[in-house]
Amino acid sequence: MTLLKSRTPRAREKRIDTLNAWLGSAESTLDQFTAKEPEQRIRTFAQSAQDDLICALRLLGGVRNSVTIVHAPRGCAAASLWRHLQTGGGRWVVTNLDQRDTIMGADRKLRQAVTSSYRRYQPEVLFIVAGPVAAINNDDIQAVVDELREELGVPIVPVFTSGFASRSAVSGYDIALHAIMKHLVGSGGATLRNEAVNLLSVAEGVADRLEAVRLLASLGIELNVLPDAAGVENFRRAAGARLSVSLDQDSANYLGIVLEEEYDVPTIDQPRPVGLRATGRWLLAAGEALGVESVARALHERESERVRQALVDFSLEGRRVYLSLVPSTAFAVAELVEEFGGELAGLTVSHLGRLQTSQLELLSSRHPALQIHVADGQPFEELNIVRRIAPDLYIGDGAHLGQLSRLGIPVVSLENTPFLGYEGVLSVARRISAALRNRAFVEALAVTGTPYREEWLKRSPNWHIKKEVK
Amino acid sequence: MSHHIDGSRNSCALHGALQLIEAIDGVVPVVHSNSGCGFHHFLGVNRTSGSGVACGSPPLSSSNVTEKHVVFGGSSRLREQLKNTVKVVDGDLYFIVSGCSTEMVGDDIPAMTKEGRDQSFPVVFANTPGFRGSVHHGYQLATKALIDQLPELRKQHPETPGQLVNIWGIVPRQDPFWAGNLEEIGRLLEGIGLEPNLLFGNGQDSNGWHRVPQAALNLVLSFWGEAPAGRLAELYGTPSLVFGALPVGPNAGNLLRAIGEQLDLDPERTESFIETEEIRLHRHLAALADTYFRAGFQREFVLVGESAQVAGIGTFLVRTLGLIPRGFVITDDLPDGQRELLLHAFGDIIQEFGARLFFSEDRAEIEEIVRSLKPELVLGSALEAAVTREIGAPLLKVSFPLGDRVVLDRTYAGYRGAATLIEDLGSALLSGSR
Repeated sequence: MTLLKSRTPRAREKRIDTLNAWLGSAESTLDQFTAKEPEQRIRTFAQSAQDDLICALRLLGGVRNSVTIVHAPRGCAAASLWRHLQTGGGRWVVTNLDQRDTIMGADRKLRQAVTSSYRRYQPEVLFIVAGPVAAINNDDIQAVVDELREELGVPIVPVFTSGFASRSAVSGYDIALHAIMKHLVGSGGATLRNEAVNLLSVAEGVADRLEAVRLLASLGIELNVLPDAAGVENFRRAAGARLSVSLDQDSANYLGIVLEEEYDVPTIDQPRPVGLRATGRWLLAAGEALGVESVARALHERESERVRQALVDFSLEGRRVYLSLVPSTAFAVAELVEEFGGELAGLTVSHLGRLQTSQLELLSSRHPALQIHVADGQPFEELNIVRRIAPDLYIGDGAHLGQLSRLGIPVVSLENTPFLGYEGVLSVARRISAALRNRAFVEALAVTGTPYREEWLKRSPNWHIKKEVK
Repeated sequence: MSHHIDGSRNSCALHGALQLIEAIDGVVPVVHSNSGCGFHHFLGVNRTSGSGVACGSPPLSSSNVTEKHVVFGGSSRLREQLKNTVKVVDGDLYFIVSGCSTEMVGDDIPAMTKEGRDQSFPVVFANTPGFRGSVHHGYQLATKALIDQLPELRKQHPETPGQLVNIWGIVPRQDPFWAGNLEEIGRLLEGIGLEPNLLFGNGQDSNGWHRVPQAALNLVLSFWGEAPAGRLAELYGTPSLVFGALPVGPNAGNLLRAIGEQLDLDPERTESFIETEEIRLHRHLAALADTYFRAGFQREFVLVGESAQVAGIGTFLVRTLGLIPRGFVITDDLPDGQRELLLHAFGDIIQEFGARLFFSEDRAEIEEIVRSLKPELVLGSALEAAVTREIGAPLLKVSFPLGDRVVLDRTYAGYRGAATLIEDLGSALLSGSR
């Protein structure tokens, strides 16, 4: 237990040099990571973006038979309400801190919330997620956890998010997974040896997760899926599993590291299975590691053939496509776009760090001049960039498609469109095909115009990205 | 002391202020807080309320303070953010709203606002940390900021012909039908010769807010509207009419009569307008009759929602549609004294039908109430979906959060809204649930 000793993992900026603000060619972007330690940049104008709390709540809301206690004022639980209405699951309770609590502390309130939620739901595990007020006040959450764990005899996991400690929202996944492994599994991993293979699925869409499960199950593998839809037992089994197959090198990165370093469970860390080639590589890597390579190869050939036939003559030939996605999805979808015969027009990724350097290298070697924009939810920059580039199609997963689409460009949202595996190829092709066949809606939207001043849209899009003065 | 809440539906003061700001054209919110505050609002309020947001994204400007600002203060970050917001985002009023972290650190938001004004930026501010209360408190804080500070920005008010009526108490998105409701109430006021000042939605911009002091009357449609009306009485001596409920169906007629009386309008004109509307409603009722009996409209129901909605919709369901009330659950966090008042407003219905009145914003508590009352119909929010399924009753989603409904200008207020409510209720009953 070395990695899990600390209260939280290191923020992504520090651990893997994650950048959150940048604009440059693929080549110069790569230089940032190869030449030296990349320079952190900040924005002198910014727009709302996700934070670690939102990512942590999304992940924890998917844990079966759990209750999440949001230790914060009411608004910090808003993302839990959203998650619940999306999925129908995820019990949450907010401690509803008020002005007095910000001065006097709110340990008593937290204790009450935990106790009454436990009595009401008898969950397998309770998570206490700290918001900014608790983080600034330094509320002694650990003391409450220690006391009530004993009293109630149920695992209680403190998740030390803050909303401000990292500029990278995905740090919230790391913090939540660190806490889960530390408190639910701890040093007990070695006693749990089993034959299962972990499928690391962090906040994936349900259809995507099921597609991955379908593929791995056809290899005859016993699967242990986590953290999505997992229960306490799945986390414990994970520590003794044969190996892990990751669905996302970025969001599942830290879980893979913990399983490897703390419990000696190796991870197959292939890029996301998006498109036929990448899905094949992903499947074969798993098959190889598990000694069922020929089964994997046969499955890939069969599925690829099925997809190719279903696609008929679908093609992106002659179409320039702009992508705005979380980084691992962005690089993977970039390959899919080229597989479809399309041309990449530019890329916005929500963050970029050392986890992406090998994919960045590949991209840069083929398209050194391709523009890479790093921004989590900064539509003012993205609109500026996309308006200049004027692509034929935009594929995104952000919360600002309702604004970007006013440029009159066909938009495909991957927020709820399955895109992993063989089924993913078909569903993305269907969405793209529809977006390109009928542009009536985006053309009607274009009448509304953007919320920005024309002066801004004419300015260099990286105007507000500056080197951080320490 | 506040208490923890299970499955909370009333978000925080900052979010309430944002709901208000985003409902006024040309007003740009400048969030001074960590990056997630505005994003939480987008996910948990805008996306769950059924109606999207005009800018098509999470808030357009946010200082996104980080650890450095929490330790050393974030005032200079706000200065920079405000200056650049004015250059990037098109608007005619910039509205700084603060979050918990910057308030706890003690950033001087009034001073930054003053600096902005010294550079002739049109800017106002409100201190809206989430720990100051619910969305409803955010609505009150933001309306107060506009009422108090707008006159400092523009001395000359646009001319107002006729008798202007400000409408208060409908909290955008917390009442999912806010835009349509305001539009319908505006139509009714116009019908009796008044000029409505809707203030939110429907292309309303800061001009309407500059005209607020000239109103002849402040119409208060929920408890939450009493604060702005009270402030205007203090500053300009404007009289108020406190109705405290969404006027639905014939109650809208009662409201118009009360306004007419208070403003000394021509009663004949008022009555003739009401009559036209009533005839229309009764024509609808006559057309409904066959379905009404066939679908079994006359059910025992539980209604869950904000006080003004429950009072308005509840009265219509009982007094016009003939449904049988089992219970009412009020989900906005009214102060204790107000609860008594509401009890008075409901006294007759409650007594006559032996219905129960509850105050709760706790989902688990509300589920228990619904479970124990076992109604044949539930009108409530998406958070009541599970328990309604459990008891096998149909659900009509009328209150926040709606989750899976889309709302543009649908209304449940006035006479038009009464007809729409009947349509939606009938469809829910016929299809078993919705």
